[in-house]
Amino acid sequence: MIEVQNVTKRYGQHVAVDHVSFTVNDGEILGFLGPNGAGKSTTMNIITGYISATEGTVKIDGIDILDQPEEAKKRIGYLPEFPPLYMDMTVAEYLDFVCDIRKVSSAERKQSLERIMDIVKIDDVKGRLIKNLSKGYKQRVGVAQAMIGNPQVLVLDEPTVGLDPRQIIEMRDLIKRLGKSHTIILSSHILPEVSAVCDRIIIINKGKIVAAGTPDNLSKHLGGGRLSLRVAAPEKQVVAALEQVPGIARVEPRGTFEPGTVDVVVDPDQEVDIRRPVFNALSRADCPILMMRPLDLSLEEIFMQVTTQESEVS
Amino acid sequence: MIGVYKKELKAYFSTPTGYVFMGFFLLIAGFFFAISNLFPMVANYNGMLGNLTFIFLIVVPILTMRLLAEEMRQKTDVLLLTSPLSVGEMIIGKYFAAVTVFLITLLITCMYPVMMSFFGDIAVWEIIGGYVGFFLLGSTFIAIGLFISSLTDNQVIAAVVTFSVLLLLWVMDALQSVVPTDIVSGVVFASALVAAVAIWLYSAARNIYVSLVAAIAGGAVIAGLYIANKDIYTGFIGKVLAWFSLLNRYNEFSLGILSLSPIVYYITFSAAFVFLTIRNIEKKRWS
Ligand SMILES: Nc1ncnc2c1ncn2[C@@H]1O[C@H](COP(=O)(O)OP(=O)(O)O)[C@@H](O)[C@H]1O
Ligand SMILES: [Mg+2]
Repeated sequence: MIEVQNVTKRYGQHVAVDHVSFTVNDGEILGFLGPNGAGKSTTMNIITGYISATEGTVKIDGIDILDQPEEAKKRIGYLPEFPPLYMDMTVAEYLDFVCDIRKVSSAERKQSLERIMDIVKIDDVKGRLIKNLSKGYKQRVGVAQAMIGNPQVLVLDEPTVGLDPRQIIEMRDLIKRLGKSHTIILSSHILPEVSAVCDRIIIINKGKIVAAGTPDNLSKHLGGGRLSLRVAAPEKQVVAALEQVPGIARVEPRGTFEPGTVDVVVDPDQEVDIRRPVFNALSRADCPILMMRPLDLSLEEIFMQVTTQESEVS
Repeated sequence: MIGVYKKELKAYFSTPTGYVFMGFFLLIAGFFFAISNLFPMVANYNGMLGNLTFIFLIVVPILTMRLLAEEMRQKTDVLLLTSPLSVGEMIIGKYFAAVTVFLITLLITCMYPVMMSFFGDIAVWEIIGGYVGFFLLGSTFIAIGLFISSLTDNQVIAAVVTFSVLLLLWVMDALQSVVPTDIVSGVVFASALVAAVAIWLYSAARNIYVSLVAAIAGGAVIAGLYIANKDIYTGFIGKVLAWFSLLNRYNEFSLGILSLSPIVYYITFSAAFVFLTIRNIEKKRWS
């Protein structure tokens, strides 16, 4: 559905996107993950035809975005990092204007708008001025705007940024629902964000793709088996007990967060489940475990790994 | 195009811009009408319109500053540029919206000559000619303002630059009669023009050879003309200024003469600036 080939964008000497290639299959939700400044927005701006690449090609459904921009753009709906909303319009006026510029015929318009407003749940605010809406509603109007004209592809740049936790969950659900009938590219700088909704993840750093794969593959491969523990015993005793356990590569004390306890992070030396051996070892040493949880790798930590070993996980 | 046109027209009247423009224009026009036609009972309406042209300095920036600068500041240009709409359609829609607001305002002022007709005969065709010229002149300034608005994402800068450029056009007009007319300054001025074109070519194309070739060709033409007939350079500066003078051509309309050439001139000038605006927006995406 989307073919990105060797796309490079230079701003003077600065390379914002560096020979990026990937494809997105029909009906897939692809997550585009990377820290701020990685080149996510630039790539999305190129895919949607907002800016042009210095090198490389983008094809939507086989149609080149530069050769036949009008045909290609009909097939893409875009929610940029800053939703492109006219603050002085009401929601209904705004969506009507988007119908105008996306060349939706007046016959289809009413029904199509009703369907979209129903899906993104903005029906109740359609008469309100956009500038008076909450951030969550603004973002949903942004998504509604991208759906107008029935594009097969939706490109969503950090759709959950700035939302409160409840709105984030609603937005995730919305994206999952949209994914049933659309091909979606979604960017984020937060790992759980993309792993929750995406079929496949591409990690990008400094303009380059550094890892790609399904969420399961990536986290197994990259975050596998790390544990965070809180143990009610002196640090020395805990560390000594843990170092006896076969399969543990590293024990890292993190200090005391609760009186009489110590927090440690344990790394297995391979991708093995060490929870049982850890439990047994500590219980034998009479160190009660108050808490044990798999440690969510922060994106930075994943980066440390992928940028040093540059892996392609399939 | 219709979509952008309608949206832009609505935007003029959902923000103060449209009302400020209309209010200011009608207020000043009414004032001029009162002191030059109504109270002294003078029927020379076109003379009044001619004096009124200075109003463009102030009202054109009001009308055009927002057009593109605001889209870029609010980042709504993304919406327009990623829609199936072409850049040309978007810019032309905006241009026509601004021209429409101007036209509506101008039509309202038609009640002044109608009022005059109650007191005596008026020169209907002369006044219509004056109005056509006034409209074309304003539309050309609007095209210039539109172009300037595409250069920045700051409305205030767009307004100030537009004002300054229009002021420069007025100053150029006044300069026509005082610039030196001798052959030497004509040649110097022509060389300066060629140099400016060459520099512009270099900054646009980043190709030193292209601009060198242009400079040499331009120099050859200047020298050739000098050898062939050096009298061409007598009063050359004044001629160039006069050719570019938008106000000069307006005077013909004031006399009630509706000839084709100034009409074509204004339309060409406007089209050129609309085209430059389209190019500028397209170029931005390639940088
Ligand atoms: N218009 C621009 N001019 C110069 N540099 C830019 C421009 N836009 C983006 N960049 C640079 O390109 C890099 C990638 O930016 P961006 O794509 O916005 O990253 P992300 O969306 O992943 O946070 C950054 O280093 C940024 O500074
Ligand atoms: Mg970004």
